[in-house]
Amino acid sequence: MTAEPGADRLKLVIVGGYLGAGKSTWLRHQLYAGAFPNAHLIINEAAELAVDDAIFGARYPLTLLSGGCACCEGQAAFLTSLRQLCDDRSRAAGPQGRTSIAVLETSGLADPAAIAASLRADPMLAFHLALSEIIVLVDARNAAAQLSADPLGRAQIEAADRLVITKSDLAPPSDTARLVATLQRLNPGATITAETRGEPVPLPDATGADPLPLADHATAPIRPVQIDLPKGLDWASFAVWLSALLAAHGDDIVRVKGTVRTPAGRLLLQGIRDHVQPPEILPDSDMARDGTIVLIGREIDADRVTRSLTRFAGDLL
Amino acid sequence: MCSSCGFPSAPGHWTEAGATTPGDRMRARLRRAQAATVLLRPFGLSARDDGAVPGVQLSSAFGATEIVPDFDAVWSAAARMAGKPIDPLSDRFLGDR
Repeated sequence: MTAEPGADRLKLVIVGGYLGAGKSTWLRHQLYAGAFPNAHLIINEAAELAVDDAIFGARYPLTLLSGGCACCEGQAAFLTSLRQLCDDRSRAAGPQGRTSIAVLETSGLADPAAIAASLRADPMLAFHLALSEIIVLVDARNAAAQLSADPLGRAQIEAADRLVITKSDLAPPSDTARLVATLQRLNPGATITAETRGEPVPLPDATGADPLPLADHATAPIRPVQIDLPKGLDWASFAVWLSALLAAHGDDIVRVKGTVRTPAGRLLLQGIRDHVQPPEILPDSDMARDGTIVLIGREIDADRVTRSLTRFAGDLL
Repeated sequence: MCSSCGFPSAPGHWTEAGATTPGDRMRARLRRAQAATVLLRPFGLSARDDGAVPGVQLSSAFGATEIVPDFDAVWSAAARMAGKPIDPLSDRFLGDR
Protein backbone atom coordinates (compact mmCIF):
# COMPACT_ATOMS: atom_id res chain seq x y z
CA MET A 1 0.00 0.00 0.00
CA THR A 2 1.35 3.43 -0.85
CA ALA A 3 1.58 6.15 1.76
CA GLU A 4 -0.98 8.19 -0.09
CA PRO A 5 -4.01 6.16 -1.11
CA GLY A 6 -5.39 7.20 -4.47
CA ALA A 7 -2.13 8.79 -5.68
CA ASP A 8 -2.12 6.39 -8.61
CA ARG A 9 -5.64 7.15 -9.77
CA LEU A 10 -6.51 8.69 -13.10
CA LYS A 11 -6.96 12.42 -12.54
CA LEU A 12 -10.00 14.02 -14.13
CA VAL A 13 -10.31 17.72 -14.90
CA ILE A 14 -13.79 18.94 -15.82
CA VAL A 15 -13.99 21.98 -18.09
CA GLY A 16 -17.51 23.37 -18.02
CA GLY A 17 -19.38 26.53 -18.84
CA TYR A 18 -22.49 27.72 -20.60
CA LEU A 19 -23.16 27.20 -24.31
CA GLY A 20 -20.71 29.29 -26.29
CA ALA A 21 -18.59 30.25 -23.29
CA GLY A 22 -15.43 29.35 -25.21
CA LYS A 23 -14.67 25.96 -23.69
CA SER A 24 -13.14 24.38 -26.80
CA THR A 25 -11.11 27.46 -27.66
CA TRP A 26 -9.78 27.77 -24.13
CA LEU A 27 -8.96 24.07 -23.91
CA ARG A 28 -7.18 24.12 -27.27
CA HIS A 29 -4.97 26.99 -26.09
CA GLN A 30 -4.25 25.27 -22.80
CA LEU A 31 -3.26 22.07 -24.59
CA TYR A 32 -1.09 24.02 -26.98
CA ALA A 33 0.61 25.71 -24.03
CA GLY A 34 1.22 22.30 -22.43
CA ALA A 35 -1.17 22.66 -19.51
CA PHE A 36 -2.34 19.02 -19.54
CA PRO A 37 0.55 16.94 -20.89
CA ASN A 38 -0.42 13.53 -22.34
CA ALA A 39 -4.06 14.13 -21.49
CA HIS A 40 -6.85 11.99 -22.84
CA LEU A 41 -9.64 14.29 -23.98
CA ILE A 42 -13.30 13.49 -23.57
CA ILE A 43 -15.48 15.85 -25.53
CA ASN A 44 -19.19 15.84 -24.80
CA GLU A 45 -21.73 17.49 -27.03
CA ALA A 46 -25.43 17.47 -26.31
CA ALA A 47 -26.30 17.54 -30.01
CA GLU A 48 -26.08 14.49 -32.28
CA LEU A 49 -23.88 16.33 -34.75
CA ALA A 50 -20.47 16.88 -33.26
CA VAL A 51 -18.04 19.50 -34.49
CA ASP A 52 -15.74 20.03 -31.52
CA ASP A 53 -13.62 16.97 -32.15
CA ALA A 54 -12.51 18.51 -35.44
CA ILE A 55 -11.02 21.43 -33.51
CA PHE A 56 -8.68 19.13 -31.62
CA GLY A 57 -7.74 17.01 -34.60
CA ALA A 58 -5.67 13.90 -34.23
CA ARG A 59 -3.01 15.30 -31.89
CA TYR A 60 -4.56 13.96 -28.71
CA PRO A 61 -6.24 10.69 -27.82
CA LEU A 62 -9.87 11.71 -27.86
CA THR A 63 -13.21 10.20 -26.97
CA LEU A 64 -16.23 11.91 -28.45
CA LEU A 65 -19.60 11.59 -26.77
CA SER A 66 -22.34 13.20 -28.79
CA GLY A 67 -26.09 13.13 -28.56
CA GLY A 68 -26.57 13.47 -24.82
CA CYS A 69 -25.20 15.52 -21.97
CA ALA A 70 -22.86 13.70 -19.54
CA CYS A 71 -24.77 14.95 -16.52
CA CYS A 72 -28.15 13.53 -17.58
CA GLU A 73 -29.20 11.46 -20.61
CA GLY A 74 -25.64 10.84 -21.81
CA GLN A 75 -24.43 9.81 -18.38
CA ALA A 76 -24.35 6.05 -19.06
CA ALA A 77 -22.21 6.52 -22.19
CA PHE A 78 -19.92 8.90 -20.33
CA LEU A 79 -19.38 6.51 -17.42
CA THR A 80 -18.80 3.61 -19.83
CA SER A 81 -16.11 5.53 -21.70
CA LEU A 82 -14.38 6.45 -18.43
CA ARG A 83 -14.49 2.83 -17.29
CA GLN A 84 -12.92 1.80 -20.59
CA LEU A 85 -10.21 4.41 -20.12
CA CYS A 86 -9.47 3.16 -16.60
CA ASP A 87 -9.47 -0.41 -17.86
CA ASP A 88 -6.98 0.35 -20.65
CA ARG A 89 -4.84 2.17 -18.16
CA SER A 90 -4.77 -0.76 -15.75
CA ARG A 91 -3.72 -3.04 -18.61
CA ALA A 92 -0.84 -0.79 -19.72
CA ALA A 93 2.52 -2.43 -19.13
CA GLY A 94 4.11 0.20 -16.92
CA PRO A 95 3.54 3.62 -15.44
CA GLN A 96 5.13 5.35 -18.44
CA GLY A 97 2.51 3.99 -20.87
CA ARG A 98 -0.39 5.08 -18.70
CA THR A 99 -2.63 8.06 -19.19
CA SER A 100 -2.34 10.07 -16.00
CA ILE A 101 -4.91 12.75 -16.70
CA ALA A 102 -8.22 12.96 -18.53
CA VAL A 103 -9.87 16.24 -19.43
CA LEU A 104 -13.62 16.33 -19.93
CA GLU A 105 -15.07 19.18 -21.89
CA THR A 106 -18.72 19.14 -20.90
CA SER A 107 -21.59 20.20 -23.07
CA GLY A 108 -22.85 23.71 -22.39
CA LEU A 109 -25.93 22.21 -20.75
CA ALA A 110 -24.09 20.20 -18.12
CA ASP A 111 -24.08 20.76 -14.39
CA PRO A 112 -20.52 19.81 -13.30
CA ALA A 113 -21.73 19.02 -9.78
CA ALA A 114 -24.08 16.35 -11.18
CA ILE A 115 -21.17 14.82 -13.10
CA ALA A 116 -18.99 14.82 -9.98
CA ALA A 117 -21.80 13.10 -8.07
CA SER A 118 -22.20 10.41 -10.74
CA LEU A 119 -18.45 9.65 -10.63
CA ARG A 120 -18.59 9.25 -6.89
CA ALA A 121 -21.59 6.90 -7.14
CA ASP A 122 -20.00 4.60 -9.74
CA PRO A 123 -18.55 1.56 -7.96
CA MET A 124 -15.62 1.15 -10.37
CA LEU A 125 -14.75 4.77 -11.06
CA ALA A 126 -14.81 5.61 -7.37
CA PHE A 127 -11.68 3.45 -7.04
CA HIS A 128 -9.87 4.44 -10.23
CA LEU A 129 -10.58 8.09 -10.73
CA ALA A 130 -9.79 11.23 -8.73
CA LEU A 131 -11.57 14.43 -9.65
CA SER A 132 -8.77 16.98 -9.60
CA GLU A 133 -10.40 20.26 -10.61
CA ILE A 134 -13.60 21.76 -11.96
CA ILE A 135 -12.85 24.72 -14.22
CA VAL A 136 -15.83 26.75 -15.40
CA LEU A 137 -15.58 29.32 -18.16
CA VAL A 138 -17.77 32.41 -18.05
CA ASP A 139 -18.40 34.46 -21.14
CA ALA A 140 -17.94 38.16 -20.27
CA ARG A 141 -20.20 39.26 -23.08
CA ASN A 142 -23.18 36.99 -22.52
CA ALA A 143 -23.00 35.93 -18.87
CA ALA A 144 -25.32 38.70 -17.67
CA ALA A 145 -28.12 37.56 -19.99
CA GLN A 146 -27.53 33.89 -19.21
CA LEU A 147 -27.50 34.38 -15.45
CA SER A 148 -30.70 36.37 -15.51
CA ALA A 149 -32.50 33.83 -17.71
CA ASP A 150 -31.35 30.39 -16.62
CA PRO A 151 -30.48 28.93 -13.20
CA LEU A 152 -28.09 26.49 -14.94
CA GLY A 153 -25.38 29.13 -15.47
CA ARG A 154 -25.46 29.79 -11.77
CA ALA A 155 -25.24 26.10 -10.86
CA GLN A 156 -22.16 25.79 -13.10
CA ILE A 157 -20.47 28.76 -11.42
CA GLU A 158 -21.28 27.47 -7.94
CA ALA A 159 -19.66 24.10 -8.69
CA ALA A 160 -16.33 25.53 -9.90
CA ASP A 161 -12.92 25.39 -8.23
CA ARG A 162 -11.59 27.86 -10.77
CA LEU A 163 -13.52 30.41 -12.83
CA VAL A 164 -12.09 31.74 -16.07
CA ILE A 165 -13.69 34.81 -17.62
CA THR A 166 -13.43 34.66 -21.42
CA LYS A 167 -14.04 37.25 -24.12
CA SER A 168 -13.45 40.17 -21.75
CA ASP A 169 -12.01 42.07 -24.73
CA LEU A 170 -15.52 42.11 -26.22
CA ALA A 171 -17.24 43.57 -23.14
CA PRO A 172 -16.83 47.00 -21.52
CA PRO A 173 -14.59 46.86 -18.39
CA SER A 174 -17.46 48.09 -16.21
CA ASP A 175 -19.57 45.07 -17.26
CA THR A 176 -16.68 42.72 -16.58
CA ALA A 177 -16.22 44.32 -13.15
CA ARG A 178 -19.89 43.63 -12.37
CA LEU A 179 -19.44 40.06 -13.54
CA VAL A 180 -16.41 39.61 -11.27
CA ALA A 181 -18.46 40.96 -8.33
CA THR A 182 -21.24 38.49 -9.20
CA LEU A 183 -18.85 35.55 -9.40
CA GLN A 184 -17.25 36.50 -6.08
CA ARG A 185 -20.68 36.52 -4.51
CA LEU A 186 -21.88 33.27 -6.07
CA ASN A 187 -18.72 31.31 -5.38
CA PRO A 188 -16.45 33.05 -2.87
CA GLY A 189 -14.18 29.99 -2.69
CA ALA A 190 -13.16 29.86 -6.36
CA THR A 191 -10.13 31.55 -7.89
CA ILE A 192 -11.11 33.92 -10.69
CA THR A 193 -8.94 34.78 -13.69
CA ALA A 194 -9.60 36.33 -17.07
CA GLU A 195 -8.24 35.03 -20.34
CA THR A 196 -8.69 36.14 -23.91
CA ARG A 197 -7.92 33.50 -26.53
CA GLY A 198 -5.89 31.59 -23.99
CA GLU A 199 -3.76 34.57 -22.91
CA PRO A 200 -4.17 35.78 -19.32
CA VAL A 201 -5.47 39.36 -19.08
CA PRO A 202 -5.78 41.47 -15.90
CA LEU A 203 -9.11 41.41 -14.06
CA PRO A 204 -10.87 44.75 -13.70
CA ASP A 205 -11.20 46.09 -10.16
CA ALA A 206 -14.54 44.86 -8.79
CA THR A 207 -14.61 46.86 -5.56
CA GLY A 208 -17.86 48.74 -5.38
CA ALA A 209 -19.29 47.08 -8.50
CA ASP A 210 -22.92 45.97 -8.29
CA PRO A 211 -23.47 42.24 -8.75
CA LEU A 212 -25.68 41.32 -11.72
CA PRO A 213 -29.34 40.39 -11.25
CA LEU A 214 -29.86 36.62 -11.17
CA ALA A 215 -32.51 34.24 -12.52
CA ASP A 216 -33.80 33.21 -9.14
CA HIS A 217 -34.41 36.36 -7.13
CA ALA A 218 -36.01 34.48 -4.25
CA THR A 219 -32.90 32.68 -3.06
CA ALA A 220 -30.69 34.35 -0.51
CA PRO A 221 -27.12 35.34 -1.41
CA ILE A 222 -24.37 32.83 -0.81
CA ARG A 223 -22.12 33.61 2.11
CA PRO A 224 -19.12 31.86 3.61
CA VAL A 225 -19.40 30.66 7.21
CA GLN A 226 -16.20 29.79 9.01
CA ILE A 227 -16.18 26.98 11.57
CA ASP A 228 -13.33 26.41 14.00
CA LEU A 229 -13.14 22.92 15.40
CA PRO A 230 -13.68 23.04 19.17
CA LYS A 231 -10.57 22.08 21.17
CA GLY A 232 -10.31 18.36 21.69
CA LEU A 233 -12.91 17.41 19.07
CA ASP A 234 -11.45 14.67 16.90
CA TRP A 235 -11.90 14.31 13.13
CA ALA A 236 -14.01 11.11 13.32
CA SER A 237 -16.61 12.85 15.50
CA PHE A 238 -16.52 16.09 13.54
CA ALA A 239 -17.07 14.15 10.30
CA VAL A 240 -20.23 12.62 11.79
CA TRP A 241 -21.57 16.04 12.75
CA LEU A 242 -20.70 17.47 9.33
CA SER A 243 -22.33 14.55 7.51
CA ALA A 244 -25.53 15.14 9.51
CA LEU A 245 -25.39 18.85 8.68
CA LEU A 246 -24.94 18.12 4.97
CA ALA A 247 -27.73 15.52 5.01
CA ALA A 248 -30.11 18.11 6.49
CA HIS A 249 -28.88 21.24 4.67
CA GLY A 250 -27.07 19.90 1.59
CA ASP A 251 -29.27 21.89 -0.77
CA ASP A 252 -28.25 25.17 0.84
CA ILE A 253 -24.55 24.41 1.22
CA VAL A 254 -22.72 24.97 -2.04
CA ARG A 255 -19.15 24.20 -0.98
CA VAL A 256 -17.25 22.81 1.98
CA LYS A 257 -13.51 23.39 2.23
CA GLY A 258 -10.84 23.03 4.85
CA THR A 259 -8.03 20.99 6.35
CA VAL A 260 -8.22 18.85 9.48
CA ARG A 261 -5.61 16.94 11.46
CA THR A 262 -6.18 13.19 11.79
CA PRO A 263 -4.14 10.23 13.03
CA ALA A 264 -3.15 9.57 9.38
CA GLY A 265 -2.02 13.14 8.63
CA ARG A 266 -3.61 16.35 7.36
CA LEU A 267 -6.81 15.79 5.43
CA LEU A 268 -8.07 18.07 2.72
CA LEU A 269 -11.83 18.26 2.90
CA GLN A 270 -13.68 19.37 -0.24
CA GLY A 271 -17.36 19.08 -0.96
CA ILE A 272 -19.85 20.24 -3.57
CA ARG A 273 -23.41 20.45 -2.22
CA ASP A 274 -24.05 17.33 -0.15
CA HIS A 275 -21.29 15.29 -1.85
CA VAL A 276 -17.91 15.30 -0.16
CA GLN A 277 -14.99 14.05 -2.22
CA PRO A 278 -12.85 11.31 -0.68
CA PRO A 279 -10.51 13.45 1.47
CA GLU A 280 -6.88 13.56 0.35
CA ILE A 281 -3.94 13.39 2.72
CA LEU A 282 -1.75 16.49 2.40
CA PRO A 283 1.93 16.93 3.20
CA ASP A 284 2.68 18.63 6.52
CA SER A 285 3.26 22.26 5.63
CA ASP A 286 1.51 25.52 6.45
CA MET A 287 -0.52 24.00 9.26
CA ALA A 288 -1.67 27.34 10.65
CA ARG A 289 -5.18 26.98 9.23
CA ASP A 290 -5.77 23.36 10.19
CA GLY A 291 -9.03 22.84 12.00
CA THR A 292 -10.79 25.67 10.17
CA ILE A 293 -13.59 24.66 7.83
CA VAL A 294 -15.40 27.04 5.50
CA LEU A 295 -19.00 26.34 4.54
CA ILE A 296 -20.23 28.35 1.60
CA GLY A 297 -23.97 28.47 1.25
CA ARG A 298 -27.22 30.35 1.53
CA GLU A 299 -29.27 30.84 4.67
CA ILE A 300 -26.77 29.18 6.97
CA ASP A 301 -27.07 30.69 10.41
CA ALA A 302 -23.45 31.01 11.58
CA ASP A 303 -24.54 31.41 15.20
CA ARG A 304 -26.60 28.18 15.10
CA VAL A 305 -23.74 26.31 13.45
CA THR A 306 -21.34 27.37 16.22
CA ARG A 307 -23.87 26.57 18.97
CA SER A 308 -24.62 23.18 17.44
CA LEU A 309 -20.95 22.24 17.23
CA THR A 310 -20.24 23.49 20.76
CA ARG A 311 -23.20 21.51 22.11
CA PHE A 312 -22.10 18.43 20.17
CA ALA A 313 -18.51 18.66 21.45
CA GLY A 314 -19.76 19.32 25.01
CA ASP A 315 -22.01 16.23 25.02
CA LEU A 316 -19.32 14.05 23.55
CA LEU A 317 -16.21 15.01 25.49
CA MET B 1 -13.97 -6.62 -0.38
CA CYS B 2 -15.76 -9.49 1.35
CA SER B 3 -16.43 -12.10 -1.32
CA SER B 4 -19.62 -13.36 0.27
CA CYS B 5 -21.46 -10.13 0.96
CA GLY B 6 -19.67 -7.70 -1.39
CA PHE B 7 -19.01 -5.21 1.39
CA PRO B 8 -17.74 -2.55 0.96
CA SER B 9 -19.02 -1.99 -2.57
CA ALA B 10 -17.30 1.41 -2.80
CA PRO B 11 -14.19 2.87 -1.17
CA GLY B 12 -14.95 4.07 2.32
CA HIS B 13 -17.43 6.86 2.87
CA TRP B 14 -15.63 10.18 3.27
CA THR B 15 -16.28 10.18 7.03
CA GLU B 16 -14.03 7.09 7.21
CA ALA B 17 -10.94 8.89 5.88
CA GLY B 18 -7.98 9.77 8.05
CA ALA B 19 -7.29 6.35 9.59
CA THR B 20 -4.77 4.09 7.90
CA THR B 21 -3.86 1.49 10.51
CA PRO B 22 -6.41 -1.18 11.52
CA GLY B 23 -6.26 0.10 15.10
CA ASP B 24 -7.02 3.69 14.06
CA ARG B 25 -9.84 2.47 11.85
CA MET B 26 -11.45 0.50 14.66
CA ARG B 27 -11.09 3.40 17.11
CA ALA B 28 -12.64 5.74 14.55
CA ARG B 29 -15.60 3.37 13.97
CA LEU B 30 -16.40 3.20 17.67
CA ARG B 31 -15.95 6.95 18.01
CA ARG B 32 -18.27 7.69 15.06
CA ALA B 33 -21.08 5.56 16.57
CA GLN B 34 -20.65 7.43 19.86
CA ALA B 35 -20.74 10.78 18.06
CA ALA B 36 -23.81 9.80 16.03
CA THR B 37 -25.65 8.88 19.22
CA VAL B 38 -25.09 12.41 20.58
CA LEU B 39 -26.91 13.77 17.51
CA LEU B 40 -29.58 11.05 17.50
CA ARG B 41 -30.46 11.04 21.22
CA PRO B 42 -32.77 14.11 21.11
CA PHE B 43 -34.71 12.26 18.40
CA GLY B 44 -35.11 9.08 20.48
CA LEU B 45 -32.58 7.05 18.52
CA SER B 46 -29.11 5.64 19.08
CA ALA B 47 -26.30 4.27 16.94
CA ARG B 48 -24.05 1.30 17.70
CA ASP B 49 -21.04 -0.17 15.96
CA ASP B 50 -19.70 -3.30 17.64
CA GLY B 51 -16.86 -3.65 15.18
CA ALA B 52 -18.08 -7.07 13.99
CA VAL B 53 -21.00 -6.28 11.69
CA PRO B 54 -20.16 -4.01 8.74
CA GLY B 55 -22.02 -0.73 8.92
CA VAL B 56 -23.82 1.06 11.71
CA GLN B 57 -26.74 -0.30 13.72
CA LEU B 58 -29.50 2.20 14.42
CA SER B 59 -32.11 1.56 17.10
CA SER B 60 -35.10 3.48 18.34
CA ALA B 61 -36.41 3.62 21.89
CA PHE B 62 -39.28 1.37 20.76
CA GLY B 63 -37.01 -1.43 19.63
CA ALA B 64 -36.92 -0.83 15.88
CA THR B 65 -33.45 -1.53 14.50
CA GLU B 66 -31.80 -1.07 11.14
CA ILE B 67 -28.29 -1.77 9.84
CA VAL B 68 -27.03 0.81 7.36
CA PRO B 69 -23.77 0.85 5.37
CA ASP B 70 -22.49 4.41 5.84
CA PHE B 71 -23.19 7.88 7.18
CA ASP B 72 -25.25 9.03 4.21
CA ALA B 73 -27.56 6.13 4.88
CA VAL B 74 -27.51 6.73 8.65
CA TRP B 75 -29.20 10.11 8.36
CA SER B 76 -31.82 9.09 5.84
CA ALA B 77 -32.70 5.92 7.78
CA ALA B 78 -32.75 7.85 11.07
CA ALA B 79 -35.00 10.52 9.57
CA ARG B 80 -37.40 7.76 8.52
CA MET B 81 -37.34 6.16 11.97
CA ALA B 82 -37.75 9.46 13.80
CA GLY B 83 -40.31 10.83 11.37
CA LYS B 84 -38.32 14.04 10.91
CA PRO B 85 -34.90 15.03 9.58
CA ILE B 86 -31.99 14.75 12.04
CA ASP B 87 -30.94 18.38 11.80
CA PRO B 88 -28.01 19.46 13.99
CA LEU B 89 -29.18 23.09 13.64
CA SER B 90 -32.74 22.32 14.78
CA ASP B 91 -34.22 23.60 18.04
CA ARG B 92 -34.60 19.99 19.05
CA PHE B 93 -30.85 19.39 19.01
CA LEU B 94 -29.89 22.81 20.31
CA GLY B 95 -32.33 22.34 23.22
CA ASP B 96 -34.20 25.59 22.55
CA ARG B 97 -37.69 24.14 22.50
